[in-house]
Amino acid sequence: MSQPALFVLIAAAVFAIGVYGLLSRPQLVRRILALNLMGNGVFLLLVAFARRNPETIDPVPHAMVLTGIVIAVSATAFALAIVRHLYRQTGEVSLGEDRPR
Amino acid sequence: MGELVGWVFDGLLALSLVLLAARVVASARLFESIVLFIVFGLLMAIAWARLAAPHLALAEAAIGAGITGALLLSTFREIVTDQPPSAEAPKVLVYRLRVLMALLAGGVFAVLGWALLSIEVPAGPAAGEQARALVARTGVDDAVTAVLLDFRAYDTLLEMGVLLLAVLGARAAVAAQPPASGDDLWIGGEGDTPMVGALVGLLSPLIIIVAGYLLWVGAYGPGGAFQAGAVLAALGVLLRLTGRLVPLPRAGAFQRGVLVMGLAVFSLAGLLTMATGRAFLQYPEGLAYPMILVIEVALTLSIALPLVLLFSGSAGIAAGRSQHSP
Repeated sequence: MSQPALFVLIAAAVFAIGVYGLLSRPQLVRRILALNLMGNGVFLLLVAFARRNPETIDPVPHAMVLTGIVIAVSATAFALAIVRHLYRQTGEVSLGEDRPR
Repeated sequence: MGELVGWVFDGLLALSLVLLAARVVASARLFESIVLFIVFGLLMAIAWARLAAPHLALAEAAIGAGITGALLLSTFREIVTDQPPSAEAPKVLVYRLRVLMALLAGGVFAVLGWALLSIEVPAGPAAGEQARALVARTGVDDAVTAVLLDFRAYDTLLEMGVLLLAVLGARAAVAAQPPASGDDLWIGGEGDTPMVGALVGLLSPLIIIVAGYLLWVGAYGPGGAFQAGAVLAALGVLLRLTGRLVPLPRAGAFQRGVLVMGLAVFSLAGLLTMATGRAFLQYPEGLAYPMILVIEVALTLSIALPLVLLFSGSAGIAAGRSQHSP
């Protein structure tokens, strides 16, 4: 097994864990964490792909992931601002259909 | 021998990443999840280094682990209520379906990844030399910087738009109801301890130097506007937490200018190249490096300020000292 293949496996595992977290934990901050895990899985896949040729490294996936990291932090910050707003308005940290009855 | 050590290291890294991700999801306490997620981000930085992606290692350590962690923790301070993982245990069928969905997603991901890796590598050194010649034409030596600011400059331009939109969106959400207490982020409610002043005095100039270095070195090595902006934003977070930056209900004209500067300078550069009969953002020969440098300086500031404002949760910030809470 090559090094990129190992990291693709890690990426798949991290992505799957993120999907499970998204489905199983209704608390919204946890959902944001799970989404970030999924994003990190995708980033790992792209960078492992950039290394498929051991002699040269493809800079395009690197640039895309760099952009992705900044977009991810922007989206996370925006999402957290919405969660805070929801909490101030309703005192809840999950969406209506997910709340325990 | 060296190869074996590399494999052992990669294996341990793989194990740690997967176990940490699992604990982030499974942990019963939200605080633990957040802290483990920050640790996960730091290990990701090591993974980037192992994958020969030093640009990403720098960005991940500063943004992925640093700024994201600060944002999560400051949210946690406000929202301490957590839902227990299962008030009543989920039905067995629901649980099995969730696991099945996750396994399916991971399986599809792995198959796609395998397909991606089996794409044929462009043959030999010829392709590499061609790419290097193209990079050399941009006037910067660093391939990732060349991609970000020249070959795929559109991506970076639109990314600045996304960052600006995130700030405006967060503003819209927060402005609807301002926080009850004035300054909820300041950690020094009882006044500075002696260490705080010394630490801030020591770290602030160092951080500025590191940011400037990262910005400058981006032309020929790992670094650039993103990393420099993130490091500057970390300084903003430090100053905000220690009460040296106070939140403002409105941003002044200067701060608004800095917020849009990256987008504006980038777009202007694109329009200028169009005015001289070239494609949008197709820099003229010989002028590419100075143009990229000007754009990068603007980007650095326009990346740092939004991140600080997003952390601060206020429309603007100003230098000053937080007052003791009554």
